[in-house]
Amino acid sequence: MAGKRKLVDELRDVAEGWRWGRRPIMPRSAEGVTAPAERWSFPTDWARTPAGRAARDAVLLGAMKPLVWNETAPQVFGLDHLEGMRAPVMFISNHSSHLDATLILTTLPQEWRDRTATAAAKDYFFDVWWRSAFTALVYGGFPIERGGGERATAKARELIRDGWNLVVFPEGTRSPDGWVQRFRHGTARLAIEMEMPVVPIAIIGAYAAMPKGRSWPRSGRPPIRVRYGEPLIPGEDESHQDLSLRMQRAIAELFDEDRTSWWEARRRAASAETPKITGPAGPGWLRVWEGSRPIRRHAKRPTWR
Amino acid sequence: MARPGFVLEVDERTPPLLLHQGEGFRLEKFPLGSRVIYPPDALPRIRDVRAAIRHALANPHGSEPLAELLTPGMKLTIAIDDISLPLPPMQPPDVRQLVLEEVVELAARKGVEDVKLFMANSLHRRMTGPEIKHAVGERIFRSFYPKDLKNHDAEDPDNLLFVGTTDKGEEVELNKRAAESDLVVYVNINLVALDGGHKSVPVGLASYKSVRHHHNVHTLMHSNSYMDPREGRSAIHDSCRRMGKVVADAGIRVFTIETTLNNNTFPEPFGFMNKREWEWSVKEQATYLAAKKLNDLGPSQAKHQIWMRIRSPHGVIGVNAGATDPVHERTLAKLHEQQLVEVDGQSDVMVVGLPYLGPYNVNSIMNPILVHCLGLGYVFNMYRNMPVVRPGGVMIMFHPVPWEFHQVHHPSYVDFFEEVLAESTDPATIESKFEEQYATDPWYIHLYRTSYAYHGVHPFYMWYWGAHALDYLGDVIVVGGNRKACERMGYRAASTFRDALEMAGETVGRSPSISYFHMPPFMIADVR
Repeated sequence: MAGKRKLVDELRDVAEGWRWGRRPIMPRSAEGVTAPAERWSFPTDWARTPAGRAARDAVLLGAMKPLVWNETAPQVFGLDHLEGMRAPVMFISNHSSHLDATLILTTLPQEWRDRTATAAAKDYFFDVWWRSAFTALVYGGFPIERGGGERATAKARELIRDGWNLVVFPEGTRSPDGWVQRFRHGTARLAIEMEMPVVPIAIIGAYAAMPKGRSWPRSGRPPIRVRYGEPLIPGEDESHQDLSLRMQRAIAELFDEDRTSWWEARRRAASAETPKITGPAGPGWLRVWEGSRPIRRHAKRPTWR
Repeated sequence: MARPGFVLEVDERTPPLLLHQGEGFRLEKFPLGSRVIYPPDALPRIRDVRAAIRHALANPHGSEPLAELLTPGMKLTIAIDDISLPLPPMQPPDVRQLVLEEVVELAARKGVEDVKLFMANSLHRRMTGPEIKHAVGERIFRSFYPKDLKNHDAEDPDNLLFVGTTDKGEEVELNKRAAESDLVVYVNINLVALDGGHKSVPVGLASYKSVRHHHNVHTLMHSNSYMDPREGRSAIHDSCRRMGKVVADAGIRVFTIETTLNNNTFPEPFGFMNKREWEWSVKEQATYLAAKKLNDLGPSQAKHQIWMRIRSPHGVIGVNAGATDPVHERTLAKLHEQQLVEVDGQSDVMVVGLPYLGPYNVNSIMNPILVHCLGLGYVFNMYRNMPVVRPGGVMIMFHPVPWEFHQVHHPSYVDFFEEVLAESTDPATIESKFEEQYATDPWYIHLYRTSYAYHGVHPFYMWYWGAHALDYLGDVIVVGGNRKACERMGYRAASTFRDALEMAGETVGRSPSISYFHMPPFMIADVR
């Protein structure tokens, strides 16, 4: 007789197929016959209830903010652009680090943060229950399918109708080299469809502080700057391609402003000479090399001082 | 669209795989490079089965609509597949009930008064009242049982009729009432390709005298695959086809209704058994662990009861009615859509986990001979073209092979195991020396007719069923099998899978190619 197996052996067997990891363990030869994407989504509405928001504030302000502010040296500019605006708006930002969402949510004023939710990739942030719960709780995250299509943005529409601001990263994923990637059109489409203002945010230095692949910021309190820009209002007949371009330009101008000054950046923008933020052409290492160049520890002083 | 079956190649990412082992199951790690043959996912069920049945009856293949065949004053006999189908028994309503209710409704409307129903159990055991009720439904049961709804009796000389002889000299003797009826309606469930077609009436309603012509060593040895009933491929189906012709030539009108079921075998909470292991959710993994531990620790009687109470959530995927041949052709096409998996070439070793249930131990005990029948008779033969394992290869089965017999259901099995197998395991020797004695034993016949026993000859057929595999394979190893029982049957018992592979090495070399046939659910390997 095959002897009775101990619970610990059984556990070990089952654990080999366990899904704690980011992806289910799938044999290579089974990749072509993967089950169709599950339609079920992790419920996130609970995280936007008053109790959920209180818990979020406790985690964000009581743990995440002190942690990030201790390990890095963030500075925030341009929050005055939010004055006089009414929810819902769409916050868009370049995306190069896991710090980005935390930086945006912890720098937003309380009344804005209370009504802000973050679009998070379903296949990454909502693959296992604990990651889903964390994303929903801390970032007010809701799942969005990267594949696009109507279904992908259904939840976003529902939230906007309920008056929620959204944090969206139009690149769809973190930059592998620190430079800004192509913006996907879904964000612009949504903004046009829902007729909502888009607030551009440039996060500078996050890639140097904690690039893709790292789970903790580099040592030495690397500087990070979060720059909120002037809201963009979708034009009546504006196409999503045009709005997408405007969004990229707005972020490029914020990068330029950070590098030089507001005045110089405006002048360059007027003559369409804003430096590109898509990085230099060349081999991969060069892009990473340039992208990870440390930024100045302090933002440049305004010229009129 | 349901995913087709596929062949997995075990790599370092492959989790341990589920194996059935009688009234138990386990996870087992397979050597890298092993192939695992997975059945297709369940095809979507027909939502409105009654409407599909009505449509099939009104638009039959090769026949007038059933309503036109029913006339007042006629003799109508309805034969129904017995307890051996489906596996596990279906959650109510059983598809036979749905078909019967439509047929009886038509008969009532057309003024047919003389209606008899028979469970076409051939030489299988009689079904009990509750078992029949589960199959036919409460309305039919209340209307007909026990006077007009009975088990077929293959040993009742007064109620059998000699119909004729085939051109190969095979005698056809059938249930007298059916043979003398104006119309025989056969209600079938086609779970595997072996079933249905001319295997329904000429076997289900036949006597021993008739059945012995195809259930014998010679015929079964020449059935390349029981699961490939195409002409010339399976001697048993060729024989049944000849008998079907005799039935038709004798003027017996048969209206066949065949149904096909999908692969949805296990209900919740055993749903994980229907899924591929790397697709198990955390919940399913936890369910596996809990079910496994409870099953291992539970008292065997309670465990047996739980397994036997499983009712499968099979969905109906096909209903066809009319003349036997065109109906069966369509049934097989649907069945192949659900069960065929293309496999590239043969392997040195075939691995199977034998489940707790086969056709002949529903509400009963799987004795060692039934393990033989399930493993070497059924699973080995689940192929088209050629077996999954090469000639002279090794079959590794997982089953405890308990030395246990159901004294009511399988009395002749006990003697067969103790007397016959102790003397020889060679099917031809057994057949010539012992079959007649068991088949004509008055006590066994008495038990078959009045109790709930399988016919005295049934264990012989179970043994012959594996004759082709016994002849073909180099070795049969049972992991976790009772040593004495395995030895009696000429198998070898191994404690662990690793030991079994080690033992197989003696026959097929040190690094054999391995194919794990991942069933249930049933599938047919189309080996190219």
